[in-house]
Amino acid sequence: MAQLVLDSVSKTYRPRGKEPVQAVKRVSLDVKDGEIVALLGSSGCGKTSMLRMIAGFEDVTEGAIRIGGKEIHTLPPAQRDVAMAFEGYSLYPPLKVRENIGFALLRERGASADIEKRVKHIAELLEITDILDRYPTVISAGQQQRTSLARALIRRAPVSLLDEPMSQLEPQLRAILRARLKDYLIEHKMTTVFVTHDQTEAIALADRIAVMEKGELQQFGTPAEIKQSPSNLFVASFIGEPPMNIFDAAIAPEGNATSISGLGPSGQPAFRLKAPAAEAINGKRVRLGIRPHLIEIGANGSADATGKVITNHWLGDQSHICFEIGGCSVVGVTDKPIGARAGDELPVRFPLRAVHLFDAESGRALAHGLGQR
Amino acid sequence: MTSLELRNISKGFKSGKVLEDISLSVKAGEIVVVFGPSGTGKTVLLRMIAGVHYPDTGSIAIDGEDVTDASPEARGVGMAFQNFALFPHFSTFENIASPLEARETPPAKLKEQVGAIARMLKIDHVLGHAPRELSNGQKQRTALARALVAQPKVLLLDDPLRNVDAKLRYEMRLELPRLLRTFNAAVIYVTQDYKEAMALGDHIAVLRNGRIEQWAAPGDVYREPISVDVARLFGDPTINLLPCKLEINGTGSVTLLGRRAPVSGAYAYAAGRDLIAGLRPEHVVVTETAAPDAIPFDLDAVMPVNVRSVLYLRGPKGEELLATVGETEAAKFGRGHRKVWVRFAPSDLLLFDAASGQRIAPQVH
Repeated sequence: MAQLVLDSVSKTYRPRGKEPVQAVKRVSLDVKDGEIVALLGSSGCGKTSMLRMIAGFEDVTEGAIRIGGKEIHTLPPAQRDVAMAFEGYSLYPPLKVRENIGFALLRERGASADIEKRVKHIAELLEITDILDRYPTVISAGQQQRTSLARALIRRAPVSLLDEPMSQLEPQLRAILRARLKDYLIEHKMTTVFVTHDQTEAIALADRIAVMEKGELQQFGTPAEIKQSPSNLFVASFIGEPPMNIFDAAIAPEGNATSISGLGPSGQPAFRLKAPAAEAINGKRVRLGIRPHLIEIGANGSADATGKVITNHWLGDQSHICFEIGGCSVVGVTDKPIGARAGDELPVRFPLRAVHLFDAESGRALAHGLGQR
Repeated sequence: MTSLELRNISKGFKSGKVLEDISLSVKAGEIVVVFGPSGTGKTVLLRMIAGVHYPDTGSIAIDGEDVTDASPEARGVGMAFQNFALFPHFSTFENIASPLEARETPPAKLKEQVGAIARMLKIDHVLGHAPRELSNGQKQRTALARALVAQPKVLLLDDPLRNVDAKLRYEMRLELPRLLRTFNAAVIYVTQDYKEAMALGDHIAVLRNGRIEQWAAPGDVYREPISVDVARLFGDPTINLLPCKLEINGTGSVTLLGRRAPVSGAYAYAAGRDLIAGLRPEHVVVTETAAPDAIPFDLDAVMPVNVRSVLYLRGPKGEELLATVGETEAAKFGRGHRKVWVRFAPSDLLLFDAASGQRIAPQVH
């Protein structure tokens, strides 16, 4: 397989009679040989334009794309050594599903017994064995999507490009098919770039995630880096389910420490945390973030605040509790059921190591974790 | 007090039977979730309660009064849909006011009621906007406000969060129970999302193939699903299912993944039958080193989710297993493709009859 490099790539669309739209702005990415990378963002963020430029469906306005050190962005799609599974990148209607999947191998003059074996294997992996002898027009949209995915994966091309590969799956199949897909990509050391709007899919499958917004790369990092050290408020609130709790906060020095007050809707302090001295952030207008899973609920001893329970939902393997602290609504998640009803009061602790601070104006991250408490 | 009561409702169309023998009751202030995959008749059921369709057999009563044949307007039912169904040429205010207009509410009272519900749903700043100027979240709140403004005795919500983004969906999941409680209506809430069903429902009716397959409190559906199919619908990742056989020699045991696991003698009545054992991913224990009763597995992929990770495991005979473990624990395993050891507590197994798919519950005499 091969390394893929995007070198300061931009894409500007110039619709006739309208203002030009810059869909991708100077994005640089370095996808290592055998790495799985997700392009993640909401619709219109530029992620699909990027994938289409790598595939050769769109021209690159500025910058360069290299595969295995060779510039490919001016080559026609078929000469780029990429395999693609795109929405609307249609299957060949006169060919059966089986023939569609094996088509590229046939073209590369593979031995037919070998092709048959590989088709069978990839079909089992994606649970489409029962439709191998049907035609594309009579199978469901979800099955078409999986057939298209199979057709790309079977090639084990130097670079594989997958557009929303699992968006149409029924929920009961999602986890196991993601698992088999990831296993397959790793086993065959396939360099893979896939586009998704679903952060859980990006985190589950990717070695590294490129988070996009408004055509700009917001952050490129491992799932752990992106969860633990989001570069700005956008990334922080886009990743994680339930979303990160975010409050306005005021910071003031207090002796040789720092006092951080989370503020309620009318600006009054809702809770207060004491952190080691931090000169750099004193006096700044900030926003404070903490992930629901890291809030300690019902903690004994030193609570930071008392939360009044609004809702408490047990989902079979975790509790989602929403409570109110000084007018702020806060969401916490625990692995164990908590026997609290609406109106009950619970002690709540915000561990300093889990607290993120962001600049209130720019949204840029100022700190991830304050001391080790 | 029971506000809505459905008795033995059946309904078919030319294409065949859609609903069969549906009975359920909803008290005032209670939320009953009708949960099931698409195409199981959920929307048809709502339409019969609203009076858009009429049942072939069975009866519908609201506040003790039979409304089976009553016209939609006579029923006191409010409804909101997943596609919002707002009047495009009406402002937000006019959309919300439409049920009150239909009842010829005096203008001053109408204005007051629309204002109150709009404030409650945080859309009072967009009352003059047309639907096309609203975000999806605001459209959905407008649809909810319209359903609630006339203080219906029965409120029908047809997958109302389906078309709003994940973040908003989550916020509404937290906000809705409190909002709905203040109206004290009997609520039927349709969804295909099991987490939404568990979070919002006081009771869940699992609808499959036109029948209520299980009727239970949210925690019970998850803990004691009545069948393999229901077990598969609740839980993410989906429950692991493994074939096994139950043997009884004094006490019971099942042989699973090549290992004999003791189970309660209370299963004795099912001895010799072919079973399917269900094991939730969070009940699978994965370790780096061998332990008594542990089975060797290949760890083939690690998939993080929030603060946990899903592990993809392959057994000695290629059996697939998904396990959910903590983030720190998962960190030890790197990118996978290595040997690990798997254990589980036999008491965590859910046993189902392989032929019928029905759950085998322990029977104590």
